[in-house]
Amino acid sequence: MRILVVLDKLFERASALCGVLASAAFVLMLLNVFYDVIARYVFNSVSIGMQELEWHLFSAVFLLGIPYALRVDGHVRVDIFYDRWTDRGKAWINIFGALVFLLPFSALIYWYGTGFVHEAWVLNESSGDPGGLPYRFIVKALIPTSAVFTAISGLGMITQALRVLLLGEKYAHVNHQEGLA
Amino acid sequence: NSGTPGGDTATAAKEAPKAEPAKVYTLKVAETWPANFPIFGDAVNNMAAMAEKMSNGRLKFVIDTSNKHKSPFGVFDMVKSGQYDMGHSASYYWKGKVPNTLYFTTMPFGMIASEQYAWFYYGGGMELMQKVYEPLGLLSFPGGNTGNQMGGWFRKEIKSLDDLQGLKMRIPGFAGEVMSKLGVSVTNIPAGELYTALERGTIDALEWVGPSLDLRMGFHKIAPYYYTGWHEPATELQFLVNKKKWDSLPEDLREILRVAMRTAAYDMYSQSQYESAKNWSTIQVEYPDIKVKTFPKEVLEALYKANQELLEAKAKEDPLAAEILDSQKKFLWKARRWTEISDQAYLNSMPRG
Amino acid sequence: MIGIIMFAVALLMLLCGFPVAFVFGGVALIFGVFSQGFDLFAFMPFRIYSIMTNTILMAIPLFIFMGLVLQKTKMAEQLLESMGRLFGGVRGGLAISTILVGALLAASTGVVGASVVAMGLISLPVMLKFGYSKELATGTICAAGTLGQIIPPSIILIILGDVLGLPVGDLFKAAVWPGLILVGLYIAYILLISFLKPDLAPAIPADASESRSQTLMKAVKAILPPLALILVVLGSIFTGVATPTESSALGGVGALILAVAYRQFSWKMVQESARETVKITAMVFAILLGATAFSMAFTYTGGDALVEHWMLQLPGEKWGFLILSMIMILILGFFIDFVEIAFIIVPILAPIAEKLGIDMLWFAILIAMNLQTSFLTPPFGFSLFYLKGVAPPQVRTLDIYRGVMPFIALQVLVLAAILVIPGLFGLTSGQ
Ligand code: NA
Ligand code: NA
Repeated sequence: MRILVVLDKLFERASALCGVLASAAFVLMLLNVFYDVIARYVFNSVSIGMQELEWHLFSAVFLLGIPYALRVDGHVRVDIFYDRWTDRGKAWINIFGALVFLLPFSALIYWYGTGFVHEAWVLNESSGDPGGLPYRFIVKALIPTSAVFTAISGLGMITQALRVLLLGEKYAHVNHQEGLA
Repeated sequence: NSGTPGGDTATAAKEAPKAEPAKVYTLKVAETWPANFPIFGDAVNNMAAMAEKMSNGRLKFVIDTSNKHKSPFGVFDMVKSGQYDMGHSASYYWKGKVPNTLYFTTMPFGMIASEQYAWFYYGGGMELMQKVYEPLGLLSFPGGNTGNQMGGWFRKEIKSLDDLQGLKMRIPGFAGEVMSKLGVSVTNIPAGELYTALERGTIDALEWVGPSLDLRMGFHKIAPYYYTGWHEPATELQFLVNKKKWDSLPEDLREILRVAMRTAAYDMYSQSQYESAKNWSTIQVEYPDIKVKTFPKEVLEALYKANQELLEAKAKEDPLAAEILDSQKKFLWKARRWTEISDQAYLNSMPRG
Repeated sequence: MIGIIMFAVALLMLLCGFPVAFVFGGVALIFGVFSQGFDLFAFMPFRIYSIMTNTILMAIPLFIFMGLVLQKTKMAEQLLESMGRLFGGVRGGLAISTILVGALLAASTGVVGASVVAMGLISLPVMLKFGYSKELATGTICAAGTLGQIIPPSIILIILGDVLGLPVGDLFKAAVWPGLILVGLYIAYILLISFLKPDLAPAIPADASESRSQTLMKAVKAILPPLALILVVLGSIFTGVATPTESSALGGVGALILAVAYRQFSWKMVQESARETVKITAMVFAILLGATAFSMAFTYTGGDALVEHWMLQLPGEKWGFLILSMIMILILGFFIDFVEIAFIIVPILAPIAEKLGIDMLWFAILIAMNLQTSFLTPPFGFSLFYLKGVAPPQVRTLDIYRGVMPFIALQVLVLAAILVIPGLFGLTSGQ
């Protein structure tokens, strides 16, 4: 049983890391867009590379944010019945959903995502615009990376559910605010 | 190989008497354009209809627009990997992936459509194009020409090189590179915000296509100066074909496909000419305030020089690029001398009625 | 056929309560793989990459951040409260203020996810605090947040202009009146319902200790800063300093500057806002990713052909055609994306409309009005999911479903009015 909790904490760490990285990417993106507006309007200077950096950061925000949000139960659910299930009922729904929907979905995105990145790597793809960013494979690699961490958060969903089912813990506790969640 | 229409009729005739039910080959085609996109989309549909008919139904096509596959600029990858058998797009979109694909659409100060078709089919252009595409497991064929594209819509007149300094313009790709050498601030603006950006002065100018497509964007109402073209004298789209799929087709179907692509491509050039002429005559009547301008000589010469320098740098970097550019340069020189004393002389000498 | 079964299964699975995004993705996977094989999913990276490179969507995290900073520094609360107080004894003041702020934001973005979430963050807690019914509060926010579609600049109008070959500027101009009339109707409805059922929208009690002029002074002080912020955002677009998307970054930075000016700034606040921004943004984009997988499975299993087939059955007589096509679009809007409708359905309808002598500008506005409703219609209306994602737990999905109903009715009413008396909206019906 201890191993279950240890494992669960490990999964939580992984998603927390995503949250930190995504938050940092967001702040940088905010400053980046702001800088680009000011540079263009005040100094009449435009850098396509800086403009492209905007959507590179933006991609990191939501692709790394998805596994993070999964851990803190930030993904919207239709609660018409869900709120009425007992914690054990919720746990079964989450195990079922993670196994049937989430993990296979992440696995396929990972599988085809790596092929997608590989193509960009082999061709050494870069931006086609003047002053654009090189190494497109980096930003494309966010896709399979996101899939891996989403799968980890999906496993976390299962370990959480098992804690509820086997150790009798409560979702309210397991899910508290930003913590264990 | 350029392939001549006609092909090997002998093999086809030999096979015909066998009464087996003909095998049907279905080709999945991804186009860069959205559903119901005029002219560009018509070229694909025409090609498919012709090939189906000519092959008596042995070739079939499933054509997916960007609304279905959602990845207008993923066409290259999707045809390469075999997710689609064919694509309809433009070669210069792949410049970031394979730099040498840049040269098979159109070049600033390059050939006009009649010259470029001559280069593709008779002047060695097709062979060079396959030299770039075949190692990638792809084949590329001319896919329809838009004709000369306009230089773009400007909010203010460009009277000198100074007017270009810090001018904020949306002009993607290689032409943007040339422009930026002259001090233009080349910007990216998503298509959905272009109109607002130009209207409010976030950008000062943009280039789109030409009268056949510009009118529906409404740019003429907010940027009255319409400059004549210099950067895309003969934009040729492309049919991309997955080479494995191509090799798996029987010889006669390959020939049918080749002829259909070639016919559809030239047909799109005719259609573009027709639509642009039609739209331009409407524009002149309905919006007499549009001012058609040509850049001053000083600006054009600077653009020309910047273009030469960039091309020289590219030729130095890569022997294949050097080979392609050399072929284009030599052919252009020859063809232009003829264009000058034929079409150009004719147009210049003809009295305006 | 598979398409229809997919929708049914998705609905059933949604009701189980597993996160919406992964239900869409998972159902797409099951049906897509059974019907087309695993390789269908080779398209997914391309679809995800298209979302990554769609820079207009950057407005979503930027707006969310602005909303969060305004919320955390209590500036939003003070703004709405003061506006509400200015309405004095009139009930529904907070909801009306929400509609007005929503209309202002609508003039800066057309991205529905951005404005619904921002409005949800800014005004839902305040309305709930003052005892508004959950239905009225959520319905108001969804309606206000969806105004961005019809009030220019708007993406749907740009796409329609492209598809129908109409100049974007003309469409923008034509949409202003219908948009404003819709805003007016929302306000009228709120006034009426809160008059008839006072407990739905209590008036904010006046502070007995202060005089009317003191209230006014306090209100001005509370309203000015956030209003200035909104004006900076709008002003930057109108003066060409920034594109609509970029303006939302000015809003985010501006909110931080206000926070400094009002001594509410702390690094912890920034950090928390950023982390919550990430969480909410992820919620929105996970739905977009799930939905793109779903629509992929739907179209590649023949759903698009089915829809096209239906549209070709429409009658060839003016009023029959108009009414039925509007109903069809409304129903399709329940299930498929407005971009799909604009690119695939509208070109089927346009030549018929043209042949019937229908004025295309009018037709375009009808469609735009119709499509904005599609964001609000249960069970798949995206605005509803987005709002649920940022609402406090006591707000249930059903509250939101019930809450939007009257606003949907108002939109249908405006749609019908544009259809019957286009002159009122400055439009003509054609021959
Ligand atoms: Na162009
Ligand atoms: Na808007």
